[in-house]
Amino acid sequence: MTVDGKYANLVATVKEECKDASEEEIAEEFRRYEEEFLIPPEDALRSVIRKFQTIAGIDVTGSSSARAPPPSAKKVDRFADLGSDDRNVTVEVAVVSYTPRMQKMKNGEERQIAFGWIEDNPWESSDKRERWDYKDWGGHSQNLAPGSVVRLEGVSVNEWNDKKSININRTSRISVLREGGQANPERTDEPISIEKASQSDGFVNIVARVLSTKNDVIVKRDGSGQLNVVRGRLADETGSIGMLSWSEFDHEPGTLLKIEGASIRRFRDTPEVNIGDTTRVEVYHDNSFASMDELASTKKSTISGLRNGMRDVEITLQVESWYKRSFTAKDGSERIVRSGDVMDPTGRCRLTAWCDFDPKPGDFIHLNEARVQSWQGSPDLVIDDISQATNLESPTWEKIDPDDHWVNVGLTELVAGGTRRGIRTKGSIVLVTGDSGIIERCTVQLQDRDRKCRKRLRDGVCVDCGPQRGEEDLRIRMVLDDGISNVSLLLSKEPAEHFLGMTQAEVSEMISREGQDFFLSSVREKALGRSVSVNGLALIDDQGAMLLADSVQDDGMSASTAAEKAIERWEVVM
Amino acid sequence: MESRRAPRQTAIRMLAQEYSDASLTEMGTGEFDPSFVITKLGARVNRALVAGVIDRLERRDGDNGPSYSGHIRDPTGNHVFNIAPFQEEMHAEAEELLARFESGDRFLISLVGKARWFETEDGGVFTSLRVEQLAIIDKERYSRWLVDAAEATLRRMKAYEDSEGLEAEATTLANGGIPKDVAEGMAQARSHYPEFDLENYRVGVLQALSIASGRSSMAEAELEMSRSQLRVDDQGIESPETKAPIEPAGDISATIIRAIESADGGQGAEYDSIILACVQSGFSREDAEDAIEGMRDVDGTIIEPRFGFFQVL
Repeated sequence: MTVDGKYANLVATVKEECKDASEEEIAEEFRRYEEEFLIPPEDALRSVIRKFQTIAGIDVTGSSSARAPPPSAKKVDRFADLGSDDRNVTVEVAVVSYTPRMQKMKNGEERQIAFGWIEDNPWESSDKRERWDYKDWGGHSQNLAPGSVVRLEGVSVNEWNDKKSININRTSRISVLREGGQANPERTDEPISIEKASQSDGFVNIVARVLSTKNDVIVKRDGSGQLNVVRGRLADETGSIGMLSWSEFDHEPGTLLKIEGASIRRFRDTPEVNIGDTTRVEVYHDNSFASMDELASTKKSTISGLRNGMRDVEITLQVESWYKRSFTAKDGSERIVRSGDVMDPTGRCRLTAWCDFDPKPGDFIHLNEARVQSWQGSPDLVIDDISQATNLESPTWEKIDPDDHWVNVGLTELVAGGTRRGIRTKGSIVLVTGDSGIIERCTVQLQDRDRKCRKRLRDGVCVDCGPQRGEEDLRIRMVLDDGISNVSLLLSKEPAEHFLGMTQAEVSEMISREGQDFFLSSVREKALGRSVSVNGLALIDDQGAMLLADSVQDDGMSASTAAEKAIERWEVVM
Repeated sequence: MESRRAPRQTAIRMLAQEYSDASLTEMGTGEFDPSFVITKLGARVNRALVAGVIDRLERRDGDNGPSYSGHIRDPTGNHVFNIAPFQEEMHAEAEELLARFESGDRFLISLVGKARWFETEDGGVFTSLRVEQLAIIDKERYSRWLVDAAEATLRRMKAYEDSEGLEAEATTLANGGIPKDVAEGMAQARSHYPEFDLENYRVGVLQALSIASGRSSMAEAELEMSRSQLRVDDQGIESPETKAPIEPAGDISATIIRAIESADGGQGAEYDSIILACVQSGFSREDAEDAIEGMRDVDGTIIEPRFGFFQVL
């Protein structure tokens, strides 16, 4: 009998449990137990199985006997239905996060594993879901993109410290039911630039200079106490990024650091470098690395670069308007809030001040440590303390005329960026939707709010307020397209009247006399294929991009001029 | 976490020749995956904005209702477009255009359509556009479109030249300076089509720009010619593309009869396969279409017992 043959039955038993293990290795393991550890093969069976399960990443904390038949598949809808020793589970989940990590296995090999969060009940809103941790031992990164909904088959439950989680094994099957974001990038050990890090999720290595640090305290949500953290800002020549350290961090501003295994997390739309216990931070020496002075400019923001959730924003602005308003807070006290429109050469936004700050229209101001909060999709600046704002004596740029401050932005750049006010963009109209024209809006006065509901009625019914007589309004929906990118374009009453050269009453009359189709075809004749320039507000979110027009007009270029320009630009020899 | 809506496909600007030259297609795999026609210059066309003078328009009555098909002509050739029986919301508009067309009127139209194609058994591909929206436009808007289409073509031509010598793979091309929106299509085009000379496309671009700049009055001329129902002859200002690729071989009627007889297995021969046979014999598409129509309606030598299928009487 060969050595292998001697262990054949046992090897087969191990193979049942660990399908990917090699027979030679299993037999070799039994031989080692028998010859080196002097344990008879039958007694070594459980140890050998556990070893190969560990290598394969199969959960081994359960008590199931190695000889027990493999558990039959269990299909559940909710995590709550899972017991701590359930194996071969099928469940549909939403993937919340996926964080790859290199793990040294016992045999010295490095393997990529990953952990993260999944939520059950993936087709319902997130408040009806339960969130569990999971570990991916099987290298399923391509099928576990955050944001996707997947069916997990053949996964197992792991319980540790009374907390249950899911193990996804190499043999587990994953079917993507709904695509999520980008597939998870393969982990690399090379440091990447801050610009790249800002766009990635999960673990990164960076080399960056500390721009600023500040001690902060985070109060735990469950009331069990508070955590000391360090916030700050890191920069390289590609940009700067916020930092949040959960462990000790005593590097002075100016220090150049190599940070390995930091994770990128997002607060609203803003990425942040998180430094934890497993992150390695060490002082780095590179004389050619950009100095503090050179990096100072990376700290300064412009309006076009503002994203919801940003903190520590340094920015120079021109004030367009300023108002003061008092209101009664929830606790009954009288409070004052000041706000106004501000501009810089890249756009305009709103600034809210929760302090005694009273600039005049036309003033130039400089803000430090401002934060960005989104209001109706538009990122707006907020300051909480007067020390964050300075009135500048001399203008930073030639005064902008607020009445004609439209920043030209190409459609592709616009769609790829964040929500922006005060932009002008160009393209051709490629669609006029069939619901353009006269619509009815709900007239119910909203309680607690100083406005009407204004939702669009469908067949005389408002989704919120029920059936009623609505108020007529004019609206045109179109698609603007420049051949590379496109965006929905919405014209409310005033811009629509202007664009059509008709009043709402005239539109209404035309529709009742000639019908909706006639009206639509007249709009198409005005619009389809026409090159226009649009001034307005670009709303960019997960649902796509939408342009709320202030005005839509011809782009002011005749065909012959456009042709001459094209001939020049492309150096065409006629 | 909300799902992100599938992004709307952008409308590609291109002249007729580039689209009719295309023979590479990509069918979406899932139910809602978009399909594409990939042109030799690397445009991935799912949707296109095209314009030109109406050159043909006809209605066909099928079991499911009427469908309309037509041609619009730009300086490089014709875009074939269709309105399907199920696009009922467009039928009234189509009837109106048809009435105007049949009364002898010719006009410029701009249309946005989705890429469609028909593939014959022997692998010939006919590209067309299924209309999403169309409108009658004036010369100025048409000329602006010519400029846009010419510039888009120049941009792809440059990308084609820049991709010379690079591996036909999207990431490599994008890293090599090919615009992001063209890289994928260029990789596909480079792997599928044999090398070709850009000169044909350059001629089309020159014509478009020369018309739009007012250096040539061809837009006017085209419109006028079509109005008076004149056919522009091959030696005239007709673009090179519509010239037959080889000298026509023999009589077109005989070619059609032969095509029908060889393809007819009792069910009749398909319209497009007859056209293809004619094109391969060196006749232009228009001539073939005219001839089929004439043989059916005037000579009565062939019949169309079922929509789109022909038999020899």
